[in-house]
Amino acid sequence: MNFTLQLVFAGVCVGSTYALIAMGLSLTFWTTRTMNFGQGSLLMVGAVAATTLITAKLPPALAVVAGTLLTAVLMIVVERIAIRPLIKSGESMGWVVSTLGFGLFLQGFVAKFFGSQAIVFPSLMFNSQDFVKILGIQVSAQYLAVLALSVALMVAMELFLRRSRWGRAVRAVSHDAEVAALAGIPVRRIVVLSFAASGLLAGLAGIMVSQITGTVEPQFGFNLIILGFVAAVFGGMGSIVGALIGGIALGIAEKLAGGFISTAFGDAMAFAILMVILAIRPQGLFGQREVVKV
Amino acid sequence: MLRNALARLTDIRLVFAAVVALGIAAEFASRSTIQIWSFVLINILIAQSINVLTGIAGQISLGHAGFMSIGAYGSAVLMKSLGLPLPLSIASAALLSAAVGWALSFAVGRVREFYLAMMTLGFGMIVYEIVREWTGLTGGVMGMRGVPSPALGTLEVFGIKIGDAGYFRLMLAVTVIVLWLLRNFITSPYGRAFFAIQASEVAAGSIGIARASTKRSAYMLSAALIGLAGGFYAHLVGYLGPETFDLNRSVEALVMAIVGGLGTLSGPILGAVLFTYLPEKLQFFADYQFMAYGLILLVSFVLLPRGLAGLVLPRTHYIKRLSADSSGNSDSRDAAATQNVSEDRNRNNNGSAPLLRVENLAISFLGLRALDGVSLEVRSGQILGLVGPNGSGKSTLVNVVCGIYRADAGRVTFDGSDITGLSDDRVARRGIIRTFQDPRLVPGFTVRENVLLGAHRRYRQNAFAAAINQRSALREEQAMLAEADRIIDSVGLTAHANSIARDLPYGDKRMTELARVLLARPRILLLDEPAAGLSEGEIAKLGQVLRAAKQQGIAVVLIEHHMEFLNDLVDEVIVLDAGQMIYRGDMRGMYTSAPVIDAYLGRQGQDAPAVAGSEHHA
Repeated sequence: MNFTLQLVFAGVCVGSTYALIAMGLSLTFWTTRTMNFGQGSLLMVGAVAATTLITAKLPPALAVVAGTLLTAVLMIVVERIAIRPLIKSGESMGWVVSTLGFGLFLQGFVAKFFGSQAIVFPSLMFNSQDFVKILGIQVSAQYLAVLALSVALMVAMELFLRRSRWGRAVRAVSHDAEVAALAGIPVRRIVVLSFAASGLLAGLAGIMVSQITGTVEPQFGFNLIILGFVAAVFGGMGSIVGALIGGIALGIAEKLAGGFISTAFGDAMAFAILMVILAIRPQGLFGQREVVKV
Repeated sequence: MLRNALARLTDIRLVFAAVVALGIAAEFASRSTIQIWSFVLINILIAQSINVLTGIAGQISLGHAGFMSIGAYGSAVLMKSLGLPLPLSIASAALLSAAVGWALSFAVGRVREFYLAMMTLGFGMIVYEIVREWTGLTGGVMGMRGVPSPALGTLEVFGIKIGDAGYFRLMLAVTVIVLWLLRNFITSPYGRAFFAIQASEVAAGSIGIARASTKRSAYMLSAALIGLAGGFYAHLVGYLGPETFDLNRSVEALVMAIVGGLGTLSGPILGAVLFTYLPEKLQFFADYQFMAYGLILLVSFVLLPRGLAGLVLPRTHYIKRLSADSSGNSDSRDAAATQNVSEDRNRNNNGSAPLLRVENLAISFLGLRALDGVSLEVRSGQILGLVGPNGSGKSTLVNVVCGIYRADAGRVTFDGSDITGLSDDRVARRGIIRTFQDPRLVPGFTVRENVLLGAHRRYRQNAFAAAINQRSALREEQAMLAEADRIIDSVGLTAHANSIARDLPYGDKRMTELARVLLARPRILLLDEPAAGLSEGEIAKLGQVLRAAKQQGIAVVLIEHHMEFLNDLVDEVIVLDAGQMIYRGDMRGMYTSAPVIDAYLGRQGQDAPAVAGSEHHA
């Protein structure tokens, strides 16, 4: 029983980072109907940059800020060179390939110049040995912090999208970019903003995941983007609450499968869930069916 | 000049001579040379696999190594543990891979394409994980040793021991045959349907191409090709490890096909040769291989959209080059086809039952009633005008009839049978053919190739006959081609028949689309603003063509704003406003109908000063 509860709790925490990744993917999907297939490498770059800076004796807080700013800038670059030209040229699926290419390039770059071995990610908050006792089970303080931060970020995002002018503009563009442009919304700037925010979330998610796993390596992230995508699809590619529930459900399923069957089963689990969702409810649990415009 | 010289390289006799020369040369080449040549062949199959899926059908796979892995381990296991002979084990492995491709693509048509791209990325990782974990079957991370192979001297085919050169020749023969089949397939209605799906699924559906099953067959065919490559690889190397089939392998497959040139047969061959030799010969490239692959994927679609083949090779044709002797019999076949159609028409010419009947159709989008109980009938040989302000529901009506939207209520019957809720391609295959407000052609096809797509619903050949160039398939193609040329002539496009659709002026694009729907031998034509953007001369031609269609008993429904054009053309006009029919009758009556004037000029009354003002001026 205790073991199960521990797995469930770990799943909730890990799942909250999937939700964060899902959020990052959804943001650009809303504004451009595209997403960065190399997003996994951004998670890795954020974590590697933060580690490198901390090793260079920068204060951890500053290193985290610098790491996430770097991923935000990289994401603006992605939009500029891997997405905009391809949407313009009308190559319907070209952006999938070009964004994947960008991710691979980053992965290759880090492997070449920072080494392809896994490096230890420093403990930012608490020690990996710190535990809190909740409901009679041992709960890792780091896991708890990650969960709290992810949820806080999601809530902040939701508030931003609902309350602020910029957030409402993002929603307007996602609803219909042409009408939004006619209404005087600076669509281009909103698109760039959504990519920067997506990069920011990716960097933070990368740092938080490596905090939990303890190490980071160049290949880190490519599996995570699948998990984030599954969480996003689960939530219907649009709803933040949906992504959060989707991510957490996925995290729990993964941990339970990993704990009771085999750790290698976790990814297969996510894939199976994706197949089932697409078969039963392709618009996700919280999404609406898209109307095809002809 | 260079292009002409290179064009010779695709000459069939030259290719044949080169293949024979390679087969002989293998006898004298060193072991390592044969090894590289063998890898070129495997890479050609891999690149063609991506080409079929991405270049031709417009779908993307980021996990193709997964299929290759299935082919490789499949063949190795079948031979090692079941003792299947080489041809059987490799063929079964390719079939197994195809079956997995079919299963993976179940969601096609349900979600946006990039969902599938993401699924394939996940698929590649899952297969990789499974291979690593399923130690009992695959040897896990330690890999599988001792796969029967010429390198180990353990490969036998029906009791005859096969050496390096022998295995190379075997692979060469199979690759050449596969490429030949592929070429025939691509230049058949099946291959052109793949291209149509890539260009526009909705337009493909409107000429009777089923999108889901077409995409599914593209995934199957593609998976089979790379599964075959995997089988060959297993027995070439003799050892299989999971790392061979990781993400980098999938990426390499993409790079070879994209850089070589998607959508052509020669492009992926170029790409395969290039990327087999590059890491071998350039240490620098080998060091930075995966960064380079990343960069190539990032920029190639913008910098080199048609690949090396598009740069140096002449354009690929998507119609079979038919020799003169197959044209001899075309007339009789053609006559038979014509007869079929006239029988088709006789069925509804007896009696005056309407061909198409729409009853109480209603549909809402997000609470907005786009159609609110519309009923109408169209008879064979009747031209019906469909008029109304923007947003009145004209296009929605056509979309519901054609199966693109599903109505909330109401019924559509065609030729006596209920077609409500049928998918668009099924509706089209019954002879209800439509055009769109914007012409939706395959941009890289010529006018003739685009027009030939219209015949899709009439082709009777099966995929196998198409792939082996069976005589009957060739005759059918010849007959369709002759008819296509006649129709192209009737819309005045003969001079442009070999022009690429992408480069045509707008009017010619529309006329190409018109020719395409005519070749479909429609029983009813639904045209969405066909006159928009046409010149005076082209409008006259359009009127002429539509009158000829009427003469042949084809029913025509015209959505139009161009009233002058409708005046002396239509037999009846229906006016829609806010999803309801507000007028039905002749054109003359329409101009004086009070509801119609209201709909177009705004409600007349005290609160309509603009209209009142303009009346004062008049």
